[in-house]
Amino acid sequence: MWKYLIEKEFKQFFRDPGLPRMALAFPVLMMLVFPFAVSMEIRNIDLAVVDNDTGRESSLLVEQCTSSGYFRLVTLCHDPDEAQRLMDENRADAILTILPGFDEEVSTGTGLPAGIKVNTVNGTKGSIGAQYISECVRMYLAGKNVNVPSDDTPRMEISEKYYFNPYMDYKLFMIPALIVIAVTMITAFLPALNIVSEKEAGTIEQMNVTPVSKTAFITCKMIPYWAVAFFILTACLAIAWAVFGYTCRGSIMLLYLFTVLDIIVMAGLGLLISNYSSNAQQAMFVIWFFAVIFMLMSGIFTPVASMPDWAQAITYLNPMRYYADAMRAVFLKGSNLRDIWYDAAGLAALGAVMVSWAIMSYRKSD
Amino acid sequence: MDTELNAIEIRNLTKRFGNFTAVDNISFNVRNGEIFGFLGANGAGKTTAMRILCGLSRPSEGEGTVAGYDIRNEQEKIKRNIGYMSQKFSLYPDLTVGENIRLFGGIYGLNDRQIREKTEEMLSMLDLRQERDKYAGSLPLGWKQKLSFCIALIHDPRIIFLDEPTGGVDPETRRRFWELIYDTAEKGTTIFVTTHYMDEAEYCDRVSVMVDGKIAALDSPENLKTRFSARNMDEVFRIIAGRAEREERP
Repeated sequence: MWKYLIEKEFKQFFRDPGLPRMALAFPVLMMLVFPFAVSMEIRNIDLAVVDNDTGRESSLLVEQCTSSGYFRLVTLCHDPDEAQRLMDENRADAILTILPGFDEEVSTGTGLPAGIKVNTVNGTKGSIGAQYISECVRMYLAGKNVNVPSDDTPRMEISEKYYFNPYMDYKLFMIPALIVIAVTMITAFLPALNIVSEKEAGTIEQMNVTPVSKTAFITCKMIPYWAVAFFILTACLAIAWAVFGYTCRGSIMLLYLFTVLDIIVMAGLGLLISNYSSNAQQAMFVIWFFAVIFMLMSGIFTPVASMPDWAQAITYLNPMRYYADAMRAVFLKGSNLRDIWYDAAGLAALGAVMVSWAIMSYRKSD
Repeated sequence: MDTELNAIEIRNLTKRFGNFTAVDNISFNVRNGEIFGFLGANGAGKTTAMRILCGLSRPSEGEGTVAGYDIRNEQEKIKRNIGYMSQKFSLYPDLTVGENIRLFGGIYGLNDRQIREKTEEMLSMLDLRQERDKYAGSLPLGWKQKLSFCIALIHDPRIIFLDEPTGGVDPETRRRFWELIYDTAEKGTTIFVTTHYMDEAEYCDRVSVMVDGKIAALDSPENLKTRFSARNMDEVFRIIAGRAEREERP
């Protein structure tokens, strides 16, 4: 019986005008487009410089800033009001003001007559922009051998070393997370829509009068999507390696293991949605609701640890949180199962709840 | 209860949805091998009753057997012994004629060889050999219905339930469809059929008329016509169903 049902699902999958193409396009899009598009690196900060000194030193400082690659010089003017107007019009993200006597004070080392003003409508861009400018100023001063601020306090050397992603490459950071998003979407939501569309078409009724068991029917429905999920995982890993040269530091088997766990949770969720929806519109809306919450509260884009406590509590119910955390740990850090057992436990617990709830709420008869 | 004689036995069957009683304490038997017409206006409770008999719905009260199995707790056994054709085309439109036959054959436990034989037999009976590799969704309505009927019979069930099998097709196709039904009944299969067409009611061995969730009349078409001194089943139906109080439910 299983053989015939699986055969049916695969035939229907490959005959669908969109699904096979989507399964192919998804990993390519995820790996080749999104790592660039979702980058949180701040570049192209529009900088207005108000240079009240116009000495040699001040133009060196400006050059230091523009040559860093993070800034685009919008204007170099002498009027603070003009710079402010540019910021008001949203044409400048930051203003660097150099006060008169900059040349002198730099050489004597008495103070730092420069001011930084940033537009923080976009908070991240603003604060990172401010850091970049201070960093440029600091490096400029370091080059001048000027001590800032004064030398009364003992000096502290801070050496920074970045582990696991030494170049702080945002693309590398995002790749495991993008795999998480792709796998989750394919395994939870497509089968849910598929079941609801059988409800709408009335074909599920024909199935319900046959002796086919509900477990067999549903499992066979999921299998093609599981195959697609593994295909996507494999394709993404291959593209990440071929295009960016990124390889998984941990065991690839562990990536697959966590993918299996995630699939179980998501299959349960997808089934639940289809049980409680009577048409595709309802299902779409519920799916959209969960997809947004899962992604925003997963730690994929913003760290969970910086969320308020109540929001952190909610993330414990989010399967994507565990899956994304585990995939990043394995891919970037080479963690083994002992390091991230809690992610596995979280997924397993959620999976058990989802699947039993789904099976209890699915009925062949009313 | 004598299951040798009766394919379906229903006693005091009731189905409620909240405050609404869709099926109100009905009792009837269907004999083995007969063509049993199940009539009633829209909303009279036909479909609800039929869904219970097919194991798709559980009764609120009452008891009964279908093909000798209890309607309350042997639903899966019932499903093995009945065929069901819904009023809406519910085969897979994106599978071909042959693939639909293969799928349902496989679900009912036929092996590949049996499926091949059945497919040949059915395609030649329906004269669909040319259309074997066409998508089921692309067939004309009349052929879709004949295909659904045959697929409902693929496992040689004891009883077949037909829910308005001839809705929306031309008279010629309807006539040929009824020939199929007769052929099947002759082989000993019990036919349980709902219909809107009163001329089709005349083809049945016995008919029941449901009004407001109850069975208002049950007899052979001949006896009903005599009892209500009507010329045809259409008049009989109008006299009985004319007493309905319940509003038509969507």
